[in-house]
Amino acid sequence: MAVAGEVEFDSERPSRGPLALATRRLLRKKIAVAALVFIGAFYFCGLFAPVVAPHSYTAQNLDTVNQGPSLSHPFGTDSLGRDMLSRVIWASRTTVVVTVATLLTGGLVLAVGLGLLAGYAGGKVDTAIMRVGDVFFALPGLPMLIMVNATLGARIRGMGWLVAIEKALRIEGFPDYVVVFGALSLFAWVGGARVIRSQVLALRETEYVTAARAMGASTWRIISRHLLPNVSNIVIVGLSTSLGAIAGTEIALSWLGVGVQPPTPSFGPMLFEGGSIRTLQANPHLLLVPGVIVAGLMFSFNLLGDALTDVLTPHAR
Amino acid sequence: MKRFLAVAALLLGVVTAAGIVACGGGSEDTGGGGAAASGSTLRMVGGDPLTLDPAIVTDADSASYIVEIYSGLVTIDKDLKLAPDIAKSWDVSPDGKTYTFHLRDDVVFQATYRQVTASDFKYSMERAADPKTASTVAEAYLGDIVGAKDMINGTASQISGIEVVDDFTLRITIDAPKPYFLAKMACPTAFVVDKTQIEADQRNWTRRPHGTGPFLVKEWKLGESLTLQANERYYGGAPSVKTVKFVLSGGSQLTMYEDDEVDVAGVSINDIDRALDPNDPLHSEYLSADTMSTYYLGFNTQKPPFDDPKVRQAFGLAVDREKIVEVVLKDMVPVAHSIMPPGLPGYNPNATAGTYDPEKAKQLLAESKYGGPSGLPKITLSQVGVGATAGDDIQAMVEMWKQNLGVEVEIQQTDQATFWQDLDKRSYQIFAAGWVMDYPDPEDILDILFNSKSQQNSTGYSNAEVDQLLMQARTEQDSTKRMSLYQQVEQLILADMAWLPLYYDRDHVVVKPYVKNFMLPPIVTPYLRYVTIEQ
Amino acid sequence: MQGLLPYVVRRLLWAPVILLAVSFIAFTITRFGPGDPVRVAMGQYSDPAALERVRHEEGLDKPLLQQYGIYLKNLAQGHLGESFTYRNRDVAEVIFPKIWVSARLGLVAMLIVFAIGVPLGVFAALKQGTWSDPFSIGILLFFQSVPVVVSVPLMLLVFVLKLHWLPAAGWGGVFDSRIVMPALAISLPGIAVVARLTRATTLSVLREDYVRTARAKGLREFTVVTRHVVRNSLLPLVTIIGISLATLVEGAFFAEYLLGVPGIGQFAVKSVQGRDYNVILALVLILTTTFIIANIIIDIAYTIIDPRVRYERQRLG
Repeated sequence: MAVAGEVEFDSERPSRGPLALATRRLLRKKIAVAALVFIGAFYFCGLFAPVVAPHSYTAQNLDTVNQGPSLSHPFGTDSLGRDMLSRVIWASRTTVVVTVATLLTGGLVLAVGLGLLAGYAGGKVDTAIMRVGDVFFALPGLPMLIMVNATLGARIRGMGWLVAIEKALRIEGFPDYVVVFGALSLFAWVGGARVIRSQVLALRETEYVTAARAMGASTWRIISRHLLPNVSNIVIVGLSTSLGAIAGTEIALSWLGVGVQPPTPSFGPMLFEGGSIRTLQANPHLLLVPGVIVAGLMFSFNLLGDALTDVLTPHAR
Repeated sequence: MKRFLAVAALLLGVVTAAGIVACGGGSEDTGGGGAAASGSTLRMVGGDPLTLDPAIVTDADSASYIVEIYSGLVTIDKDLKLAPDIAKSWDVSPDGKTYTFHLRDDVVFQATYRQVTASDFKYSMERAADPKTASTVAEAYLGDIVGAKDMINGTASQISGIEVVDDFTLRITIDAPKPYFLAKMACPTAFVVDKTQIEADQRNWTRRPHGTGPFLVKEWKLGESLTLQANERYYGGAPSVKTVKFVLSGGSQLTMYEDDEVDVAGVSINDIDRALDPNDPLHSEYLSADTMSTYYLGFNTQKPPFDDPKVRQAFGLAVDREKIVEVVLKDMVPVAHSIMPPGLPGYNPNATAGTYDPEKAKQLLAESKYGGPSGLPKITLSQVGVGATAGDDIQAMVEMWKQNLGVEVEIQQTDQATFWQDLDKRSYQIFAAGWVMDYPDPEDILDILFNSKSQQNSTGYSNAEVDQLLMQARTEQDSTKRMSLYQQVEQLILADMAWLPLYYDRDHVVVKPYVKNFMLPPIVTPYLRYVTIEQ
Repeated sequence: MQGLLPYVVRRLLWAPVILLAVSFIAFTITRFGPGDPVRVAMGQYSDPAALERVRHEEGLDKPLLQQYGIYLKNLAQGHLGESFTYRNRDVAEVIFPKIWVSARLGLVAMLIVFAIGVPLGVFAALKQGTWSDPFSIGILLFFQSVPVVVSVPLMLLVFVLKLHWLPAAGWGGVFDSRIVMPALAISLPGIAVVARLTRATTLSVLREDYVRTARAKGLREFTVVTRHVVRNSLLPLVTIIGISLATLVEGAFFAEYLLGVPGIGQFAVKSVQGRDYNVILALVLILTTTFIIANIIIDIAYTIIDPRVRYERQRLG
């Protein structure tokens, strides 16, 4: 990943200029706007699912099973008569929670935090973090995730304090989410950390930073004023491109049965139910509804990632 | 530099291609595809066998092959009756504790044609009980034999209760006059295995075992396919079908059937409409049969809130099982009204667990010591989850509890390992499971699961009257009286609602018209030797 | 190539340490999970006495570290242990045929990815400015976004049931028609990635050399262009191989499951759920080793392709 070549290094306002510029350029690309709109709608539904969804994820009606789209059920019903539109909205909530949580913990806290630390502190700290990272990086991702979720998942879900938080924050399925995004973060932070670290290593020796250090600026000030703004572009591009992968992995894990557990909603089980070849012949909407939405989401993430890369790292075309 | 790259790329390509070609040819076929239906080959889809060693087998899939490859003293015939197998007759002592088996003299092991004698049986059963064999079911099937438990515990090096009288006479003494002992002898743990083969090749003998049954193993590719070949020297007459090929690796069975890759295929819930529709060509090829198993909800009678029978009854009466079977399961299975499935000796068509009555259910819940839905602790239903979804039926039930009782039940889906552990520790509240009969005797379900001293009593059910009746039934020699004892036990358990029986199981298959005499045995017994293929 | 040899040697020396750490992590995670393979093998008959007896016989009642030590000792002698799922069978004989199936499937998929992706990318680059460029890229991006668990059932519906072009399931080796469906399904996302990358590099090359080579005549121009294109796109393509491998492995999981391919994918999930400790560990070790070796090879390829890359102490990441 190339360094952003046009950062105006203003020690008073380090990052407001280029960011606004970048945003304006982004918005000029029609495709990016379309992608942003789709993602925005998706995340809106996810966040406000209890309000937006006409029915709950589990409300069933055994008299109206497997119906195609209709006025009362715009996306039809499934094998238990549950409203597909509502289920999709509730499932988007899981995707939203998992992606945001993983980004925050795995992305920001772990990748950015550890990358900054390793790059700036250097020496033994750097080696230690990188070696640990080597191990995690070498672990085969999907099998490890499956393992962790299948074996430790049950234990973690049962932990008292997680259940207490679930009750307090009224987020159903909170322990499930913790298991999934915890595992995802744990196995995904290394790549980002390495990139950030190499950036920091390069930046550390620039005149600005050396001068700042000579002037006695505190470590925190250096990091926040000089290092962070310069890595922020990479961070943003990296985060947006990994959103798709994170969402996809959660759906894949849940499809296998080792992600979130019912009744916590997720696109994985919906795709599983609709995907059996026989179901597909009889009731194609059971696969197509979640399938098109998930494909659309991934598509939008990819488009957005592309556009962001274009905008924030102009030499990388 | 560039030349180096070009050469390297070329080499890589050649090596890869060579590797692919080398292993691409040869017999890799997992599907029946390629071999069209012939007069003597049957192609089916089969479950993946985990082992072909009769001493350690625990799962039904593996057992279904084992009963075709091996045989024992007695067997269960097509009418579910105990029938002679290698033992052509037997005498029971007046005290009911000593069985003298008279063996056939025309039984030989496959491949070597060595004659089977009584000492082979003694060897086989002692091998099953040997701690080194690490069989998890030795106690269950052989534990009644005098001295067996000592060998299992490692305090004896042979089983004293098994005596080789002469080459064709075997005497077995058991610890009490239990009428169900013979039924256990029909199970794989008591089958005869080839001592010569095992001692010569401890590790690999199960790949091509020398059984005594109607079929022998021609080829076994783990996880891919299993091919059986007719045993021409089978003492019951060589089977008509000469080769049976099982596809093990999954994929849509019905699609393979319609593509003519297999001759028999299971029909799943997504296709049952087609099979039942008289206008669909599949209809005339459709076959279904009940299996001896009961699928149920078990309540933990020792854990709140199900320690109060009124709560259990409330939950039981709040589930409309008929509707669920009709709508969710498309009538593919019969609704269960009893613990003992139909076909089992002792089955009581009049047994009942109550009928759907949401009003009464609400009332019972209010009468319970918890006072109603708000007084209940959090309730979780545990289930084994395979793949992504909790069964639709369970989800439907949970909704019914919500709608009829106002109670929210959470479904906890776990994998097998966790599920069994929870069950052993009795740490769940409700669980959904099925119980498959291993031998056709009520002891295998009522005693094992509801005797308060039994290790497998996962509901923690404890009823002194039931215990006493069960003990009596264990040694009751009059079979009519014995069955009526079991029926009393069943009614007591149902009244207490320790279980809510949901449905019995039923197999659904389609069979090509040129395959004749195909049957679906309700319990694991050999049947392939009766199948014929017409051209 | 100055620092290459010591670099490779250093990496190779690190590998066993990483493997050790990985094996220990996998070893403990599986055993932390509830349940054990003996209990799973027992099925519906639960007899605590029998359970204890067999667990003792299999050495599962020893303390964790002791079990680990025994495992390492066996590993050093080349024994991967016995499977619990398939009783009394060597892990090696259980998983190697499956790994071989998955590997071949993966290789064929990779071949398809590059055989279709590269020409497609060049085509799109050449057609830049016309409608076919963004159109083809858009289509590719969409294919990249559709999850395997959606594309496979759809392909089954179309190609098998409706058109009867391909057989339903199973595996017959590389030259058997049953490989088409899974290979296609797995390669679709990869084709998009490779095509887009090839397009980008082709574009930059065309821009650079076009003026000079415009003066060359006929064949020579063609040769020069292709030669430059090849050299410049090799580097990013080599990186892509690494990423593609990972994506392929993940996609393979689901394709195998859905299409009845007796590969390592669905067996891995089954082993985790059955707590088949030895199989799980073997899988993790094999995958990790492959990954480490692949990475080293890629790094070596980097140096060969681009002599400017140096492997000295400061090598980042």
